[in-house]
Amino acid sequence: MIELLTETAIQEPQRIRGLEMPWNRVMGSPETPARAARALGPWHPQEFMAECVETVPEAGAMMTFVFRRCDGAPLAFRAGQYVNVAFPVNGEDQEPVDRSYSLSSSPTQPWTFSITVKCDPTGLVSPWVHENVRPGTILEMLGPVGAFHLPDADRRARYLLLAAGAGITPVMSMVRTIHSLPGHADVVVLYHGSDAGGFAFHRELAYIASVDSRFKVHYSLGDRSVPERWEGLRGRLTAAMLEEVAPDANGRQVYACGPEGYLNTATELLQKVGVDDTSIYMEFFSGDRQTLLEYQAEVALATDIAEEIAEEIADSAEDYFEGQPAAFGLYEPGYDADGTLEASGLPLEISDPEAPGSDPAVDSPGMEPEAGSPDASSFDTVGTGSLTMSFMRTGINVRIDPTEHILEVAQRAGVRIGANCKEGMCGSCKVVKLSGEVEMNHQGGIRAREISAGKFLPCCSTAQTDLVIDA
Amino acid sequence: MTASVNVPLNSRGKLAASLPAEQLAEITALFEFRRTGYSLDAPFYTDRSIFNIDMEAIFGQHWIFAASTAELPEPGDYVTVDYGPYSLIVLRNDDGGVNVLHNVCRHRGARVLTEAAGSTGNLVCGYHSWTYSPEGNLIHASAPGETKFDKSCFGLKRAHGREVAGLIFVCLADEPPADFDETAKIFEPYLAPHDLSKTKVAYQQNIIEEGNWKLVMENNRECYHCDGHPELACSLFPTWGLTEGLIPAHLEEVWDRNKQAEASLEERCRRYGLPYEVVEQLDTRIAGIRISREPLDGEGESFSADGRRLSKKLLGDLPDFRLGRCSMHLQPNSWFHFLGDHVITFGVFPINEHQSLVRTTWLVADDAVEGVDYDLEKLTYTWKQTNLQDKAFVELCQQGAGSPAYEPGPYMKSEYQVEAFINWYVQRVQEHLA
Ligand code: FES
Ligand code: FES
Ligand SMILES: [Fe+2]
Repeated sequence: MIELLTETAIQEPQRIRGLEMPWNRVMGSPETPARAARALGPWHPQEFMAECVETVPEAGAMMTFVFRRCDGAPLAFRAGQYVNVAFPVNGEDQEPVDRSYSLSSSPTQPWTFSITVKCDPTGLVSPWVHENVRPGTILEMLGPVGAFHLPDADRRARYLLLAAGAGITPVMSMVRTIHSLPGHADVVVLYHGSDAGGFAFHRELAYIASVDSRFKVHYSLGDRSVPERWEGLRGRLTAAMLEEVAPDANGRQVYACGPEGYLNTATELLQKVGVDDTSIYMEFFSGDRQTLLEYQAEVALATDIAEEIAEEIADSAEDYFEGQPAAFGLYEPGYDADGTLEASGLPLEISDPEAPGSDPAVDSPGMEPEAGSPDASSFDTVGTGSLTMSFMRTGINVRIDPTEHILEVAQRAGVRIGANCKEGMCGSCKVVKLSGEVEMNHQGGIRAREISAGKFLPCCSTAQTDLVIDA
Repeated sequence: MTASVNVPLNSRGKLAASLPAEQLAEITALFEFRRTGYSLDAPFYTDRSIFNIDMEAIFGQHWIFAASTAELPEPGDYVTVDYGPYSLIVLRNDDGGVNVLHNVCRHRGARVLTEAAGSTGNLVCGYHSWTYSPEGNLIHASAPGETKFDKSCFGLKRAHGREVAGLIFVCLADEPPADFDETAKIFEPYLAPHDLSKTKVAYQQNIIEEGNWKLVMENNRECYHCDGHPELACSLFPTWGLTEGLIPAHLEEVWDRNKQAEASLEERCRRYGLPYEVVEQLDTRIAGIRISREPLDGEGESFSADGRRLSKKLLGDLPDFRLGRCSMHLQPNSWFHFLGDHVITFGVFPINEHQSLVRTTWLVADDAVEGVDYDLEKLTYTWKQTNLQDKAFVELCQQGAGSPAYEPGPYMKSEYQVEAFINWYVQRVQEHLA
């Protein structure tokens, strides 16, 4: 046995490029089965009840509470976000007290989720939580909330994650999420604690760093009580320490979480080592009035949205998945429409009702002409045939049989379409098809890109359905 | 990625040979008695016959820069480029390679594609609609009543094309010079980490300078005149071009800053495995090159006033923005700056003996979003200004060359690369005329 455990050189795993959250494609997919999985995609906060199913004591006077939603739905969120929980601190019949806690679990394991709470003996809520929340406890929650989270897609996932004390909670969610996903990433974690025994999750962090070469984890003890056998870093955050753990911090996205003083220092130092302030994301675990007010506003906004959505669900369960509020960019997918990942070699596509090609009218026969454009039903109809082509500019309906070439029939009816080769080579007859299906036998006169943009060559095409043509 | 295409269909007789013997002898003598270390005699910048010889001996023989991959990313995308009398179509084919076709219809010679860039399926001549495949084959010519018309004899003429590290080069010679491969091996490792295949054109500037193409290239090869570039001076150390022992007292501090920046850039390059050493073979090989990576002043990231990044998305798999500028000069018609956040390509396209098109193209990561990740005005500011200043310098020289009072002047020490360019040019033409 012992021999088996001795270290042998093992090659690096092979990975696709970049990180991509599992819900990313699902949210953009127009296909029905994929749509169902949209429930796993985080797009808005909701109010829900959740049942505690496990409590795990952690180092540093912290406790992890694992929950599942009472309605059985997964909790869809982004790594780094938080939930707002109503705790009946003063008994079930009194107004509960609201507190926000970062989620520490990974959204890639969405059927349960956890928060990790540090006990502050002088506080009102956290000691109560530690003492009273047990498996079986049911609490009312609102979430997910917050703009501090990993991007949905990142071609160059290079992160520096800074955490102090309980600030490790959202960072832990990020670490677990990335670890659970394949794809290239480069993650440096720098975790500050005040005493050697107080680093929550340190065993799991050590494990992840030992099996996943994408992670480097560093610990630093504040300037108090450094035991003799301490092998980590010493002292508060400094520019030199940042340079030491991440000499390329300059090219990384930095996520930092901890108390206000720590984050203020971090901001200064990060700028010093050349990190652009647009690459720095922060979550305050303590703060002045201003910071607290901002968080309150964030939760209030989330409450509004949650209510709006609840109403919509009540109105029509059918439209539930379509009815995403467009008003708040905060809850929109953070990826761009052109798609930047090469994970599958395919560009990401987001269903955009405005974009050509994703128009649902294409497969519904009663397509309505755009506002302001003429109505084809008022056009004259000429010719014979089983199908109708509406030429919107010319203002004429032309009947055609599925065996006839569109160009010939159209030209005979007086529609002006320039044409030269009549063999699908020169492209001179190219027109835009607003709806319907054609069969085209071209010979290089048109590009795949143009076809997907709705163009076709009428000289070498036949009609398969009624057509609406921009000519 | 490299891709090459077939040999051209045919070649024409030497233009030089058609000059009257006397004139040819005169020109040959001008090359022969060129005074080393001095600027060229006036006719090199003003004479039509010498321009024609340049077109034949330099642009007709050597690998010349045409465009970057980002300018024709998808099958069917093309650019048209003109070098003096030549007009070429550089087209991305369905196999991902590039086809280089002479933009001259085989019917009655009309320009086939008239746009500077675009996307097309087959190529249709606008005059009588002769239609060519992207490979240049004539596939359609309406020919009522024609009996003996053999389409296969009238394909568009082809030239050589290659793509190296995201840059596209063309060669009009039947037999392209072979040592371009060696040069490509030199520059490929410098460029590869910037991954030009994952960039997009943020902006392209075309300016016509009233100057001979050689004056444009000469001007670029020295920074003796860089006092005339206040915007660029923010990025280049004011000690640029100086060496130990030549540092005036007021620049000693800057010199130290420069040395430090150099040392830390070196360290970073080593850490990331990026080559940075100077390779300078401007006139010691046929495909002459100079390449190096140098620190920039300030934050050392980009061509901005404070040296900070101008685009927030790193290129390729680069881990760090502070990579200064990797600069490359390729004989005869291009130079480049590769930075962590963007790339700038410069191409010189001669029009005639006294006019040249200078095309500057700014490339950013293809997922960078204008207005979010970069501000176009800021991205292009330094080099737009610098280009205009350079245009003015070139035009002053062109005017001078036209004066009866002009005589060649000496290149100073800091202008040794200008001398190398001219030396390269003279050698290449002489080889061709021999
Ligand atoms: S007429 Fe030539 S492609 Fe239709
Ligand atoms: S000149 Fe091109 S088709 Fe006649
Ligand atoms: Fe200049």
